[in-house]
Amino acid sequence: MSSVDTTPADTEGVTAIFRRVLETEDVTADSDFFLLGGDSLIATRVLSAVARTYGVELSFEDFVLAPTPAGLVELIAAAG
Amino acid sequence: MSGGRARSAVVVGAGLAGLTAAEGLAARGVEVTVLEARERVGGRTHGIEVAPGAWIDAGAAYLGARHTELLDLIKALDLHTTPTTMLGASRFALGGGAGAEDGEHATRDGRFPPLNAVALGELFDHLAELTATVRPEAPWLTPDADRLDTLTAAEWAERHLTHPDARLFFPLFLGEMMAADPADISVLHMAFYLRSGGGLRYLNAFEGGAQQDRIAGGAHLLCERLAAGLARRPHGAVRLGEAVRSVAQDADGVTVRTERGASYRADVAVVALPPLLADALDLGPEPPARRAGERTGRGCAVKVNLVYPSPLWREHGLSGWSVNAEGPLLSTVDDSPAGAGAGVLTGFVTGAEAHRYAALGPREQRAAAVAQAARLFPMLPEPVGFHVTDWVNEPYSKGCYAALFGPGDWLRLGPTLTAPHGRVHWAGTETSTEFFGLLEGAIRSGHRVVAEILDGTA
Repeated sequence: MSSVDTTPADTEGVTAIFRRVLETEDVTADSDFFLLGGDSLIATRVLSAVARTYGVELSFEDFVLAPTPAGLVELIAAAG
Repeated sequence: MSGGRARSAVVVGAGLAGLTAAEGLAARGVEVTVLEARERVGGRTHGIEVAPGAWIDAGAAYLGARHTELLDLIKALDLHTTPTTMLGASRFALGGGAGAEDGEHATRDGRFPPLNAVALGELFDHLAELTATVRPEAPWLTPDADRLDTLTAAEWAERHLTHPDARLFFPLFLGEMMAADPADISVLHMAFYLRSGGGLRYLNAFEGGAQQDRIAGGAHLLCERLAAGLARRPHGAVRLGEAVRSVAQDADGVTVRTERGASYRADVAVVALPPLLADALDLGPEPPARRAGERTGRGCAVKVNLVYPSPLWREHGLSGWSVNAEGPLLSTVDDSPAGAGAGVLTGFVTGAEAHRYAALGPREQRAAAVAQAARLFPMLPEPVGFHVTDWVNEPYSKGCYAALFGPGDWLRLGPTLTAPHGRVHWAGTETSTEFFGLLEGAIRSGHRVVAEILDGTA
């Protein structure tokens, strides 16, 4: 899905989203959301932030397949 | 209080708050009499034996690692916890479309519903933002409290939730978290409750959250063991079948009168009742502030336990968890006792659905629940046991999980929630701003009251 006001996805930006939602600074590009204590409820908050920031709507299934900042950046790029 | 340290106390209500207070007072030498209206202790905890030696919770059941005072009590009473393991896929009946494989039901790994994830994320963003603004120790002092205390959660949802999936999921979420219909609570109460319980994520989670464990053998054991311990003390007593009618106080003490006509005299009284019951007591002199308001509601939960020979759904890769847009069972969970020969599927009937279901006769209740369970889990035979616990109409609870603070309640009731009325002290999970409505909140309120009475910390 694409949108007119798409910002290119960047690892730093998605990492910042993870940090905010997980309430921890302990996130790198390859950090697994679920191993950091994330669950499906707050995973949706990553997806709403991704949609707002990059104009790309990912599904929960997308997220589960690539639950790292680097993985999401690839998905966003592919969808955008 | 004048006249020095209290030497005797009457505690009204043998739920977890009252018995915690009673035990704390008795341990420090106070002569304590606990008066309980029912013929059992436990309040909103209640055990049902579904198979020989296999107990389930008909009321409050869950706890997590942050419930530190409850964990201490469990240890002190020589009880143990058992994890709420949830392996396998969930079932969802959230209306047509939405990934439904047979036109109605969808099966998904984990607990995530087949709804638009971005829309749910926006819902939780809104809730997280609200929750962050609350002053949990004094919700009535929250910025913009006037507005938040006026608006109902239903009005809030109407304004803020645009996506149909968010609108569908919000009442189900609130029912699950708070046993509340969105029309019945203020936005301030919703935000406070989520914050008080540890935030959205903690309150919602099983593993790593507020539903991580149950108490092995049933949560009612907490109260039974506290009561037994009290009875073993030289100056402790629990009297069942003693519904309290009035609490009068004078310069020297309190006189507590019961419906049966008995009267008890002590230095102080602890009222450990839910707000609607506390407010109905005849207090002399009248307290300056009420314990409940016009809009204070009953927690709307009816708990249904379906008992099978074994948890058959597990053999089909299902966890027993389901979320359903249509009642009566808006969610189900595997509550099978650990290691016992029974499979227990517990259904939650919450919010407005609880009123509808409670109004049915026993046969209709059974038929509706059994039919829904069979649609969700087609492998299930007719249950070997069936239990309905209607907390909404329970005269000595008036609701469960906890009282629902409606519009106006927090601003009016909040500032005096814990303030003693002379010799009368207030306990109960609804007087705890930490873990309000939970077992942990009940215990914390009991400890606070002991400190008030004996250490003058009021």
